Amino acid sequence: MTTLLLSAALILLALFGTPLFAIILAVASLGFYHSGIELTVIASEIYRLADTPMLSALPLFTAAGYILAESQAANRLVRLADSILGWLPGGLAVVAFAACALFTAFTGASGVTIVALGALLMPALIKAGYNEKFSLGLVTTSGSLGLLLPPSLPLILYGIVAQQMASGADISIDKLFIAGIAPGLLMVVLLSLWSVSASPARARTRQPFSAARALEACRAAIWEIPLPFFLMIGIYSGYFAISEAAAIVALYVLLVEVFIYREISLSQLPAILREAVVMVGGILLILAASLALTNYLIDADVPTRLFTTIQAHISSRLTFLIILNIILLALGAILDIFSAIVIMVPLLLPIADSYGIDPIHLGIIFLANMQIGYLTPPVGMNLFIASYRFHKPITTVYLATLPFMLILLAALLIITYVPQLSLFLVR
Amino acid sequence: MIRRLLSYLNKGEELLLVALLLLLMIIVAAQIIMRNLMGSGLIWADGLTRTLVLWLGLLGAMVATRDNNHINIDILSRFLPAKTKTVVSGLTLLFTSGICAVTCYYACYFVALEYHFQTPAFDQVPAWLCEMIIPLAFGVMGLRCLLLAALALTGRNLPTPPPATYGRDQ
Repeated sequence: MTTLLLSAALILLALFGTPLFAIILAVASLGFYHSGIELTVIASEIYRLADTPMLSALPLFTAAGYILAESQAANRLVRLADSILGWLPGGLAVVAFAACALFTAFTGASGVTIVALGALLMPALIKAGYNEKFSLGLVTTSGSLGLLLPPSLPLILYGIVAQQMASGADISIDKLFIAGIAPGLLMVVLLSLWSVSASPARARTRQPFSAARALEACRAAIWEIPLPFFLMIGIYSGYFAISEAAAIVALYVLLVEVFIYREISLSQLPAILREAVVMVGGILLILAASLALTNYLIDADVPTRLFTTIQAHISSRLTFLIILNIILLALGAILDIFSAIVIMVPLLLPIADSYGIDPIHLGIIFLANMQIGYLTPPVGMNLFIASYRFHKPITTVYLATLPFMLILLAALLIITYVPQLSLFLVR
Repeated sequence: MIRRLLSYLNKGEELLLVALLLLLMIIVAAQIIMRNLMGSGLIWADGLTRTLVLWLGLLGAMVATRDNNHINIDILSRFLPAKTKTVVSGLTLLFTSGICAVTCYYACYFVALEYHFQTPAFDQVPAWLCEMIIPLAFGVMGLRCLLLAALALTGRNLPTPPPATYGRDQ
């Protein structure tokens, strides 16, 4: 009875906007207290933040992303994509998806893409003959496209959390990076195909390819073009680990944007870095709280019990996957991607493992679901950012985004039920 | 006077945050260069990096608390009338403050234990020194939440998280 009452109170508190870390810490503290374990264990679990390999990648990539977002990199990226892909029929839609996916991969899906790239792409799309509703939907959807592409923060966080679990021991972040590429591209391709077929005749007139224009755009972005390449080459040649790559990328971006492009002044820099650390701080705090909670849950045998219950009802892998998708979609609609990862992955991983689902594949499925969560009414984050940024009523954004969301759902089905798509390069 | 002192403390907190982030970048980068060029590295670098991440995370969380800018779910409160909403956020903040206080208390105890046993963290650095940030962060977050809760429950407006500033209108 008391347990029930307490749970109800905590759920209510959570739904009314209590910081999630406080809720998680409360659950963990109550749990430990109940089992008669000294609460100092919470502090020692929080201290595990200093004992988790790879974690430094999080603040470093975030800093790089925030600096990029504040510079004119978005502008250069759109110009570059346009000069290379613009000759395709319906080229601008393809350009938009490609540019947004790349930008999101580097800046993390925190809405930056919609704000930074959307402002450029919205007017361009409308000018090219797409109607407003279509353009709005496209830009809103693009805000979280690229989550599956390296070096996106959610991929890294999934890897870090999974590595804490015994069954996730063989998950390395560099494998996750490779596994996400094909599914991420699948989303971009499906969205592009649909956009091209749905685009009005006027938008389909091709703009001829111009080598001079492409060269000009390349020259403008010459300092940023090497970024994805040296990231991948550095990691896969073994010169540096992912957390080290993050430091190099952050330092490089800082030097290039501040001293070469001179688009960010030294006096602006502290404020930008502060924003980055505050965002990461929020994530790390929830991660710390979840480490404590997971410890309690394992101590109380919750994963095993959960597992027995589920196994009693679900026998086939297929049914499990279907239910997994439904649960994750619902979760993605109310929870942000980072909290969802740190809370759910420790519970899901052992269960999925027993149904023979590869932990790397699980990660890709998880993130693909969460990506759609960004677009799911009523509280998908992209919907709000787009509504705020483009001064459109939220219901208009819902309707505009719906067709794109359906395409992503189709991609999700393929990603979930064709594990080879994620695994063919890894296993 | 107190206001001035507080604003100095806030500035100091931000300065420390930015300095630690830059330090993290530089140490890791130096480590790669030394390893690949000279075949050796700094032994204490790894321990320091990992401690820096803990400090960065908790300092970031402290600053986030200032503007009540923590990750939350917040589905229901948007349907409340403005006045009720402020009271409800006051209550959630009060709750958060309580949790922070409990965590701070046990973290102090934890640090004291580690001091007593002189557990090493890395190289010659004792663990309690690295862990100091945990009670400090939860203490400060608890106080800040309490302050915000007092503001909300006496009917004053809460600071709103700054809107995303990135990407100026181009």
